[in-house]
Amino acid sequence: MELTSNQHSRTTNKRKRASRSQRQKRWRTIMIVTVTIVATLIMMIPIYWMVNAAIRPIREVLTVPPKFIPETVTFDYIKAVLESPRNQQHFRNSFIITISALSLTLFFSTLAAYGFSRFKIPGGRAILLGMLALLMIPRVSLIIPFFKLANLTKLYDTRLILVFTNTTFALPMSTWLLKGYIDSISQELEEAAMIDGCNRITAIRKILLPIIFPGLVGVGTMVVINSWNDYLLSFILTQTLKAQPITIALAKFFGEYNRNWNGIMSLALISSLPIMLLYIFFQKYVIQGLTSGAVK
Amino acid sequence: MASATTKKRISKKYRGYVFIAPAIILLILVAVFPLINTFTISFQTQQQGKWLFIGFDNYRKLFQDEWFLNAVKNTVIFTIIVTIGHLGIGLIFALLLNERWFLPLRNFIRGVLILPWLFSSAAGSLMWSMLYHPVGFFNSMFTTLFPNATPIDFLGNPRIAMWSIIAVVVWIWYPFYMVSILGGLQSIPTDLYEAAKVDGANIWQRFWYITWPLLRPVLISVSTIDLISTMGHVDVVKMLTAGGPMQATETIGYYVWKTGLRDGQLGYGAAISAILVLAMSFFMFSYLKVVSKGGTSGTNF
Repeated sequence: MELTSNQHSRTTNKRKRASRSQRQKRWRTIMIVTVTIVATLIMMIPIYWMVNAAIRPIREVLTVPPKFIPETVTFDYIKAVLESPRNQQHFRNSFIITISALSLTLFFSTLAAYGFSRFKIPGGRAILLGMLALLMIPRVSLIIPFFKLANLTKLYDTRLILVFTNTTFALPMSTWLLKGYIDSISQELEEAAMIDGCNRITAIRKILLPIIFPGLVGVGTMVVINSWNDYLLSFILTQTLKAQPITIALAKFFGEYNRNWNGIMSLALISSLPIMLLYIFFQKYVIQGLTSGAVK
Repeated sequence: MASATTKKRISKKYRGYVFIAPAIILLILVAVFPLINTFTISFQTQQQGKWLFIGFDNYRKLFQDEWFLNAVKNTVIFTIIVTIGHLGIGLIFALLLNERWFLPLRNFIRGVLILPWLFSSAAGSLMWSMLYHPVGFFNSMFTTLFPNATPIDFLGNPRIAMWSIIAVVVWIWYPFYMVSILGGLQSIPTDLYEAAKVDGANIWQRFWYITWPLLRPVLISVSTIDLISTMGHVDVVKMLTAGGPMQATETIGYYVWKTGLRDGQLGYGAAISAILVLAMSFFMFSYLKVVSKGGTSGTNF
């Protein structure tokens, strides 16, 4: 009798302790979720305010006290930005530069990654390390020779030179990441295909490329983001509308006296949309690429 | 057969070079050659359109230039605080996102938190310049909360301007570090934490004895990337303050552009660039030596 009551009290004690720790756990989770959401909202203030200025008259945005909820919403500013022929040309330049840099980077870095991964290249490790060392060079320390060489080669103020610079700066990282990808894939499949009479290029195209496709998408998205958002080199190497990408159009605002906040915020929003869409589609691959790169 | 002849022509040992050649050639033409050019230009000066070799004159001038020393000082402060900001915010968000809670919401928030990284430095600077406006969001909040206070001149006050710039740079690029650190956290086996819990370790002990040591390699590699990319930063400084007020936000990167291209002293600008490259190489070498001592280095560069 005594024994059972003792047992009984012990089990209730245990249950009490369990429920207390469970309650503690629930409180902790609620705390974490609240902190995360509040911190995230704070981090999004600049974006929220940009969207505000893109769709509300500016005198409603720059007010004391701040008005969080829009009263008048209009898409006129965005429409004006999209209809301006100057902006259209800037967008065209950005698209051409980014797509060309993307194709060149993926082509060159897949080849190079394949070479580094599948062949015993004499001095290969040193070359690879040298490539990565180039990542360390701050871009700004190259602007003076770039400016001089661009004028010498008559490539100043062309889209072509921005394609070259964007590709070059993307190459070391993309080669490194793709090499990691190819390293993790066994060579046997390609060898079997080559025995069956495929040549090496066909073996790469038909067998390797489909397997490393997620890697290509991740690397490609990062190349597009960096190339689309490049400001410094675009600013130094271009001068007129014929080659200037959209970032230059954005930065021009800082030199103006009559500031059209609505217009520029609409342009900032519109110019970031392609990248955001791309990112929403390929987020998984980018995060995979980033994390594997950092952990290695 | 065509492939048989190419096989003969390029001996097997060197066939790999064919694959890496395009990338290497481009890198040599567009990165290595200009880099060498930076050094050669730094020993020259332009007079009436002609290049003159002047030895170390540019470098001599550099060490007497008080604005250069000012830029060095600003760059050191800027780089250190931006790196701490990136890693600090990145680590906090990564820890929060690594906790076990409602997964779809967690993934959604992770996606939202990455957004700043997608904006160009120009778009980011524009957003913040509107927040910093005399009646912009920050001042509007500030004067609403404290009606008697005068509005803060975020970009015009020499004491505050650098902090305003730092905030923008931290905000745009923290997601990269957040995602990298999150990847590091997710590679830590969870049974380590279970075992520690059984042994009665509290949350701080678990962080300090499990998370921190295992995260170290990742932190070393991302902080290296961060220091490298922040040290030469130009964009936000150029757009928001143009080095002002009173050269309070002039970093070395901005100073290179200002003296070299805006003022047309190409040789002098190249000398500053050369010093920047040398200082960075030296600094990176010693940094990696110091931080990777004891633990395994995560920087398999």
